[in-house]
Amino acid sequence: MANPVINSRYFKPQKEWGWQVAVDLYLAGMGSGALVIGLLVDWLGYSPYSSRTILLWGPVLVAFGALFLISKLGIRRRFLNTVMNPKTSWLSRGFYILSVCIIFGAVILAISLLPLLGVDIGSWSLFVRALDMVVFIFALAAAVYTGILVRSVRFVSFWHTYLLPVLFTVSALTTGAMATVMATYTYDLLVFNEAYSSNMRNVLMNITQGLILIEAIVLALYLYTRYMAEEGQSRNSVLLLISGRLWFVFWLGIVASGFALPLVLAIIYSRFSENPILLFAIGALVLASRLLLRLAIIYAGIKDQTPWHKFVELQYYLKFPDAGPVPLRNG
Amino acid sequence: MAEKVLAIDAEKCDGCRKCETACSVFHTGADNPGRSRIRILTWDNIGLHVPVTCQSCDKPFCTEVCPAKACHRDLKTNKVLIDKNKCIGCKTCILACPFGVPLFDKVEHVTVKCDFCDGEPQCVACCEPRAIEYLDEEFVGMNRRRGVFQKFLADYAAGQQPVFSYPEIGAEVGEI
Repeated sequence: MANPVINSRYFKPQKEWGWQVAVDLYLAGMGSGALVIGLLVDWLGYSPYSSRTILLWGPVLVAFGALFLISKLGIRRRFLNTVMNPKTSWLSRGFYILSVCIIFGAVILAISLLPLLGVDIGSWSLFVRALDMVVFIFALAAAVYTGILVRSVRFVSFWHTYLLPVLFTVSALTTGAMATVMATYTYDLLVFNEAYSSNMRNVLMNITQGLILIEAIVLALYLYTRYMAEEGQSRNSVLLLISGRLWFVFWLGIVASGFALPLVLAIIYSRFSENPILLFAIGALVLASRLLLRLAIIYAGIKDQTPWHKFVELQYYLKFPDAGPVPLRNG
Repeated sequence: MAEKVLAIDAEKCDGCRKCETACSVFHTGADNPGRSRIRILTWDNIGLHVPVTCQSCDKPFCTEVCPAKACHRDLKTNKVLIDKNKCIGCKTCILACPFGVPLFDKVEHVTVKCDFCDGEPQCVACCEPRAIEYLDEEFVGMNRRRGVFQKFLADYAAGQQPVFSYPEIGAEVGEI
């Protein structure tokens, strides 16, 4: 018999944040991750200074992602109003973090182009390094921020955990590392310059494999803790992902295409280094699956029941104690 | 002057939804319950209807998350309001509100919620069973308590064992 007091509306995922938010989280994560990895590669001496541009394109992605977020607003021309409440609003704080990342990142990207125009920037090295440091910090902050923004929604229990920013940060570094490998390979392929050593790419591929493993563990931990959480609808959100309407996105799009297959292909790649087909296959799988990961997490978020619903259910179970525990639904 | 609040008695609500009509007509000029700032939650199977509107929480999560400070507490009335001229329509307050009160108006592209109709709530004016009242905060719940006590006295005078009941689902949870 259907439970008469379970209002099934509240087992449906939230609709306030849609695919535009997920795409923004993805692009901001990938862009900031690429910037972090790119700067590290440069600092460790793996890049020729004259070709630093290829390592610093992350801010372009972050800016592009922000456009998706702005497109989701009800009144887009007012997006600058977002600056008004950094004291308590994570959306407002993110505006500042992403703005610094984009603006200063664009500055170091522009400076990296000057040598191509014949400008000697050797005397600027201290200034550029200081800028690099600022951009590195804010790029890392941007990668973490994407998870903190979603986590700050306290009444979607599926999102309200500190593991979500950890997951999004590791994911950002994974996509950033993979994108950097693909960008440097493409640059060398097109420019015939071999500016970036294959040794650097092999190191990055190994790092990417490590990050994929870490991300898999964090994702498993995140889903497990959300399933076991007693509050809210987090368990129903997990069920929605692993056995509900989104199961094919999760198992095929994320687990198989994002973790299992890339790791297998990466092992094969280590024996056939610099094979372009393998490289781009791994890259496409990793990058596409991380977008699906964010889409899945956004679309699986179910808002917790209102106090009214809990009150009515409580009274119902006072009258019918044999009705048992609240039946789980997965939307 | 004591602050006034919207007191809702779910037991009295019969689900007529005149409050939704009055609210939407007052705010939008048309009868469109989808744009009403008050909504009726319904449990058809047990005949329960609960009007839901802004509670002007002491710690409003909506003002905390609003990036544009459109959601704010009015200093004069102490009510939580949304300034439509500042709202950017990000919908974060809708996710933040534990009562699910704010709604996104698809015509104006901003988030709206109850603004208490400048001190004369239209839903109160049209509610015949008086399920919604605009009372001084210290008198909230007084009607219910008065009703329960009067029933207790009536049962006692009739020589019956007084019983506390929840008529909306027929549960009887205590005898004295």
